[in-house]
Amino acid sequence: MAADLLRMDDYLAQSLTRPPRANDTVATTGAIDPAVIVSLDEAWEEGEPDLVVELIDLYLGDAPQWVESMRAAAAGVDARVLKRAAHTLKGSSGSLGVRQVAETCRMLELSCSESAARVEELLQQLNREFATARAALAAERLRRVA
Amino acid sequence: MRVLIAEDDTVSRRILETLLRNWGHEVITTLDGEEAWQALHELNAPALAILDVMMPGVDGLEICRRVRELGGATPPYIILLTAKHGARAIVDGMEAGADDYLTKPYDRDELRVRVQVGVRIVELQTRLAGRVKELEGALEHVRQLQGILPICCYCKKIRGDQDYWQTVESYIADHSEAEFSHGICPNCYETTVKDQLASFRALVQPPV
Repeated sequence: MAADLLRMDDYLAQSLTRPPRANDTVATTGAIDPAVIVSLDEAWEEGEPDLVVELIDLYLGDAPQWVESMRAAAAGVDARVLKRAAHTLKGSSGSLGVRQVAETCRMLELSCSESAARVEELLQQLNREFATARAALAAERLRRVA
Repeated sequence: MRVLIAEDDTVSRRILETLLRNWGHEVITTLDGEEAWQALHELNAPALAILDVMMPGVDGLEICRRVRELGGATPPYIILLTAKHGARAIVDGMEAGADDYLTKPYDRDELRVRVQVGVRIVELQTRLAGRVKELEGALEHVRQLQGILPICCYCKKIRGDQDYWQTVESYIADHSEAEFSHGICPNCYETTVKDQLASFRALVQPPV
């Protein structure tokens, strides 16, 4: 833990008691699949930190970099990097139930060699969906650590 | 069981780690293909590996090929875990040397039972490797007692591997699991021992 703290910017203590379950009313706007959150809560073990909070932190830490990487790859017409970033963000989003972002990433992965206009259209869609998902995940996190 | 996971996506990796630890496994985490390959060909490598197919550097399929080329008596059991769907992807994965294949998003129970199958196969493989080693040892003993043995026509000693003449019993004891108990056969009793006993008796009991 001490080593981890050295690499962190900040630290927020969280309860080691049972996390609030998704069906205790998930703070969702449709951006997050409640069934996935329920399923992740089921993997939680007594005495462990809330897994969903941990995953939200990981996701919100990594996803913006993948989005940025896709945008840079599209600008540089690098289909390989675009496909790779779309693939990773698709997996990450799917694992956390961020289904619309996962679906747009899937389309980007398939369309990365298509016209620049189509890629740009999908990237703009991804930006909107990611903004919605980020807000929903932040709300869910807040609800759990409150 | 020690299970290696190779997954570059942090969220998927953390979920996988949590599930495997909950199921009682020791998890060795790697972040890309190169790291996974290093871990899989060192001494005491994990016996079971769950690999993402699409990773930076060496991908999951290439790791499967390299591991199979290594051979060995107890190769790791490999499950490929990937977002690639379709029969072609499964065929490619299995042909590269994977033992099993699961597509994302996966069902947790399905992953759990597939890992259990892997554990059973690894345990069976380990037991079989142990038996093969025992049998090879036994076969080596049998081989040592085969062939033409030079034996002295008079004293019946056998010339051993180091040109050293040994009694039959010490030679056999050295080259097999046999042990000897010593006795006298009826023929030797009649031809040798009986006369010797009579001579001894004559010495200790002079004729009256």
